[in-house]
Amino acid sequence: MDTRTLLLELHCEEIPARFLKSLSGEFAEAFKAWALEQKLDQLRTEFFYSPRKLAWRVEGLPVAQADQIEIQVGPPQRMCVDESGMPTQTGQKFAEKWGIEFSAVRFEQPTGKKEPCAVVTLKKEGRPTLQLLTEALPGLVSGLHVPKAMRWGYSEFEFVRPIRNILCLFGHEIVPIEIDGVKAGATTWGHRLYHRDHPEAMAIKHPEAYETTLESAGVVAAFGKRRRLMDDQLKRLAAEVAGQVVEDEELLDVLAEIVECPKIIRGEFPVSFLDLPKEVLVTSLKEHQKSFCIENDKGELLPCFLTAANRPDDPQGFVKGGNEWVLKARLYDARFFFAEDRRTRLETRLEKLSHLTFHRELGSYVEKTERITRIAEKLAADRGLDVALAREAARLCKADLVTLMVGEFPELQGVMGGEYLRNEGQPQDVWMAVKEHYQPVSAEGDIPTTPMGGVLAVADKLDTVVGCFAIGQIPTGSKDPLALRRAGQGIVRIAWEQGWTLNLADLVEEGLGAVKARAVKPESESREALLTFFRDRVAYQLEHSGLPGPVRRSALPAGWSDLKDLRARCEALSQFAEDARFASLAQSAKRIGNILKDEEPREEFDAALLQQDEEKALAAHLIRLEMAPDHGALLNSLAELVQPLEAFFNSVMVKCEDAALRSARLSLLHRLRKTFLRVADFSQWQ
Amino acid sequence: MHVQELILRLQRYWADRGCLVGQPYDIEKGAGTMNPLTFFGALGPKPWNVGYVEPSRRPGDGRYGENPFRLYKHHQFQVILKPSPAKVQEMYIASLEALGIDMRKHDLRFEEDNWESPTLGAWGVGWQVVLDGMEISQFTYFQQVAGIDCRPVSAELTYGIERICMFLTGIDNIFDLTWGEITTDQGIFPIKYGDVRHREEFELSAYSFEHANLELHWMLFTEYEKEGWRMVKDHGHFLSAYDQALKMSHTFNVLDARGAVSTTERPGIIKRVRDLACACARAYLEHETTKADAAQEVK
Repeated sequence: MDTRTLLLELHCEEIPARFLKSLSGEFAEAFKAWALEQKLDQLRTEFFYSPRKLAWRVEGLPVAQADQIEIQVGPPQRMCVDESGMPTQTGQKFAEKWGIEFSAVRFEQPTGKKEPCAVVTLKKEGRPTLQLLTEALPGLVSGLHVPKAMRWGYSEFEFVRPIRNILCLFGHEIVPIEIDGVKAGATTWGHRLYHRDHPEAMAIKHPEAYETTLESAGVVAAFGKRRRLMDDQLKRLAAEVAGQVVEDEELLDVLAEIVECPKIIRGEFPVSFLDLPKEVLVTSLKEHQKSFCIENDKGELLPCFLTAANRPDDPQGFVKGGNEWVLKARLYDARFFFAEDRRTRLETRLEKLSHLTFHRELGSYVEKTERITRIAEKLAADRGLDVALAREAARLCKADLVTLMVGEFPELQGVMGGEYLRNEGQPQDVWMAVKEHYQPVSAEGDIPTTPMGGVLAVADKLDTVVGCFAIGQIPTGSKDPLALRRAGQGIVRIAWEQGWTLNLADLVEEGLGAVKARAVKPESESREALLTFFRDRVAYQLEHSGLPGPVRRSALPAGWSDLKDLRARCEALSQFAEDARFASLAQSAKRIGNILKDEEPREEFDAALLQQDEEKALAAHLIRLEMAPDHGALLNSLAELVQPLEAFFNSVMVKCEDAALRSARLSLLHRLRKTFLRVADFSQWQ
Repeated sequence: MHVQELILRLQRYWADRGCLVGQPYDIEKGAGTMNPLTFFGALGPKPWNVGYVEPSRRPGDGRYGENPFRLYKHHQFQVILKPSPAKVQEMYIASLEALGIDMRKHDLRFEEDNWESPTLGAWGVGWQVVLDGMEISQFTYFQQVAGIDCRPVSAELTYGIERICMFLTGIDNIFDLTWGEITTDQGIFPIKYGDVRHREEFELSAYSFEHANLELHWMLFTEYEKEGWRMVKDHGHFLSAYDQALKMSHTFNVLDARGAVSTTERPGIIKRVRDLACACARAYLEHETTKADAAQEVK
């Protein structure tokens, strides 16, 4: 059958960048589902988006549906025809139901039926695709889920932004749809700049000509292409001043979403602003001006920035000049905040924290600070760090929330507190801890570099997690509005990667103790939920650390809360991840598990009772295993246990008649299993 | 380009496109949206086009006249087009050209910026208009005012007069802008923005941050509220009641700048202003309906 390409473009007033991708994807999915339902094959769907356009191109759509044959099975023949061969009422009704003469009904025995039944074959003629599209497309568009929909003018139609033009072609033919009074045609609009000199709309001759026609009118329709072009320009312009771009994938995405014509402009700002902390400059440039910073190979910023323009050139330097002018005003503000904030010591702001609510049910930031302090002191003492410094860092860590700079740039929380404390001459342990205590800010983000930073970060996150559990705010399924999983993961990652000796069960107790006064849920309930929560976080940490599956699965059930021990076991086990002997050990471990099920073996047994050589050998091995000084030695001995174990199971019948002997054998296996479990549950080693 | 020339051109431009030229409303307010020409104009079914300058006071933005980019009081040029025209973006762009901005040389973008005014119970969606990296206007399709759906929807365009003027002249200190020129028998004298407004910035900043009598302002806030409810409830007078809501709003802003409003109190206080404003809007619509019914009967 002939196929054609469909092109649909909604030309709108500027669509918010954050919705472009999701709307495009959603429509493509909806179209695919519709086409499937209509039995229309398609080869390939592409989508395009730019600030003023949402467009889709579907290749290989047949020009019409294939004719369809449908077979309908009705009642048994004996109910449709009477003894004289005349149709019964039931038979007539069946024919009527499908709109045919009774004479056209056949009687056959369909598969799965025990007797012949009435059968009709219906031929459904396939409809032209153009017609189907005309009927369906408006509904597919208005059925899109628009997160922040709007109305305009007198219309009740809702969409992301007003639709001003519709281009809809099926091959060379216009699909005559109409959405909110806008009729589809074969034309569209290019860049505004282009149409200053070309007041007419542009004709798109056929769907394949879409991108090239638009490019001739100043619009690069594909996001990916715009992003690539901009990335190249960024690198080139940074290299021109002997620097490199301070990379930010998210910012590059945004820039490629807010322009139709990708162009990067490099501008300069006064050198004097380089006195501001690097983080302030990078954040200010990004948040206010959607600009990249440039750094030299020492990581120092240059007094330059890179940003996007939505036009091909900057003939008189107005775009560069304008951006420089605005940036200067912004940096002027940042410098004002930085100077104002430093006029008083950070400490003097603590009082204001009592007016700042952390959480309605968990109190103000003063209360939170008190809880963090309590936890941080304990953790610092456990780690052998200076408790007085930990107390000081914890006391001051939230004070920057009420500074002007953090008010302007919330993402600089912690960073500014650290900067200001450093300026005040606080010890490095204190200011670094404050600076780092929100880390890691993402799954892949850096963790605090200092031990004290780790302590404060864990204390802060622990208070948040335990506090929320204690008032019943527990993450479920995809719902985790307070990002508790991320906080919990941060705790585990810091302790794991900084190599803490830490028992998470004890840590949970510490948190529960601190939040007692605010708790709403019974403590035992919170404890149980928290232990499950942290066990999951630990499991994820093992995965995140890239440990092999067998190691993860077997190490965790043998104990998850003592992180240092778990880590040591995992590392020891990893040596044997590929060792075939361990696969055999896993079989034996399972066997032992099955044998011991429903048994209550004693700890001690009299080795003299053992009779066969194989079991005596095993008992001798057990003694060596139990004496193994560390995980490595134990695992080496375990590897050598494969033969004796196999021999044991091949020749020894554990559950024998002699009660005393049976009991001794069960104890032997029990003690073996106990020794295994010092490192791992090998029955999970698959 | 002088400040006054900018205003005159905008008035001329929009008058030529079928807008009434309105006047600032003589009560302190934070933005041109609060002018009754917009607040009531955007409600109800009647078409309505108007443009006007609005001096907008934001006590928290005061910088004692020391910051070259920020003001306690700045000027907005506000345009309301109801219903929003199909070519509203083109009309707006042409207005920039009328100000002398040659679009062939500049970079213009409409970036998402949705507007919300909790004190007026109003919200809309739209953009900040960015010219060569600088925000020069707010562009909003009103969806709700006073918690009531706008039918039809108005387009609101808000130009930042000082910003645009600085941009056009390349002067990077507001106070160095030229407001206009005066001609006397002795000659022509240019008058700077600073000459007209600098002392005002200093005094009003000092007042908002240091001198405002808190007790008095708390008392005023409560009294304005009572007075407003008395007018709208007992008399069905929405304009005099709305004046009280505007005064409440400004009084709150002063208290806020003085740091007298805690974060926990804030939503409750804003709600008190909103409740009165919403009552005024309902009274207005009721009045309009009665008027329309009466006109129907006369016919």
